[in-house]
Amino acid sequence: MPVQVYSLYIFDRHTECIYSKQWVQPATPASSTLPSTVTDQHRQTNGTELAATAAEQLPPKPRRNKGADDAKLIFGTVFSLRNMVRKLGGDDDAFISFRTAQYKLHYYETPTNLRFALLTEPGALSMRNVLHQIYINLWVEYVVKNPLSPVEHKGGEGVRNEMFELGLDKFIRGLM
Amino acid sequence: MSASKAARVGEEIWKGRVDKVNAELVVLTYGTIVAQLCKDFDSDYVQVNKQLDKMGYNIGLRLIEDYLAKSNTMRRCSNFRETADMLAKVGFKIFLNITPTVTNWTSDNKQFSLVFEENPLADFVELPDDGRAQDELWYSNIFCGVLRGALEMVQMQVEAHFISDVLRGNDTTEMRVSLIRYIDDELPPEDD
Repeated sequence: MPVQVYSLYIFDRHTECIYSKQWVQPATPASSTLPSTVTDQHRQTNGTELAATAAEQLPPKPRRNKGADDAKLIFGTVFSLRNMVRKLGGDDDAFISFRTAQYKLHYYETPTNLRFALLTEPGALSMRNVLHQIYINLWVEYVVKNPLSPVEHKGGEGVRNEMFELGLDKFIRGLM
Repeated sequence: MSASKAARVGEEIWKGRVDKVNAELVVLTYGTIVAQLCKDFDSDYVQVNKQLDKMGYNIGLRLIEDYLAKSNTMRRCSNFRETADMLAKVGFKIFLNITPTVTNWTSDNKQFSLVFEENPLADFVELPDDGRAQDELWYSNIFCGVLRGALEMVQMQVEAHFISDVLRGNDTTEMRVSLIRYIDDELPPEDD
C-alpha cells in the first residue's frame, strides 16, 4: 500500500539533529498559513508601509530557521514521550508513534541512542520496520562503515554522503 | 535472552548473515600490526598495550552498530549478566567464530572473566624473546579496547584487561571485565 512520506529526521546520542530530509509537503501545511496571518495583523495594526517591510523581512527568517526549529521541537517531543512511556510502561516499553489530523510521527531508537523520526500521512500503518531497515541497510552500511565518515557526526558531518542519500531516497520513494 | 538462546542466535547469524575472511589473513595482519607497534615504540610494551587498546576502542565504537544490525537487537540487555552472555555468545561468535567462557562473577554481578579457549589472533604467535615481552606485552589487548568502545556506545562504562595469556606461558587466556557505571541519557540543551 503506497504511503505519503513527508520527512525524516535523525538525531544522535548527543540529541543533535544530524540529518533531515523532506519529500512531500503535508496536504494543508499549517506553517504556510501562519506567517501570512502574522503579516495580515501587521498590516491592520501598523499600517501598510510597515507591513510591506515586515512582509519582506519576515518570511525569509522563519524559513531559514524553520528546519532547525522543527527538528528541535520534534526531538523535544519524542524525547519526552519516550521518557514518559518508559516511566509508565517499564524500561522495555517503546514509544512507537503518535498521530495528529495532519500527520503521523513514527519513532525508532537504537540501543546506541540513535533516534529516527519519520513523518507520514496520518493513515499510514506502522513504519517501525521501515526505520529499522533504514538503520540496518543504510545507516550502518553507508555511514558507520564509511571510513571517510567520523564516529561522531557533529553538524551532520559524514552523514550526507552520496550512497546514503541515494539509497534513502530510493527506499522512501519505493514506499510512495 | 537466556544463555542457550544467545548461543543459538550467534550460531545462526554466523552461518547465514556474515561475510567471512580467511582466518590466516587475520592472524597475519594482526601480527604485523603488533610487530610494527613494537618496532615503533622501541619495545616499550606498556605503550604497545595502550595503542592496541586505543585501536580496539575506535573499532568498538563502530562495531557495535554492525553488531546491533546483524543481531537484530531491538532492546537493551536487562542486566550485566545478560550483557556478558550476549557479548561472548553472539558478539565474539559473529565476528570471530569463537565463544569465550563467561565465568568468575563477583557477587555484586559487576565483574566477570572471559576465558578464551581459542584465540584466532594468536595462532602461530610467539612473543619476542627479550625477557620483557613475556611479562609486559598483552598480545591480544585490542579485544579490551573493542569491548570498552562497544559497550560505551550502549551506555555502559567498563574497564577490561587481560590477567593471563597462554602466549606468556599461563594455563589460560583470561580477560577481566568490570562494569563501572551505566551512562545516563544525554539531555537536549536548555532553550532560551
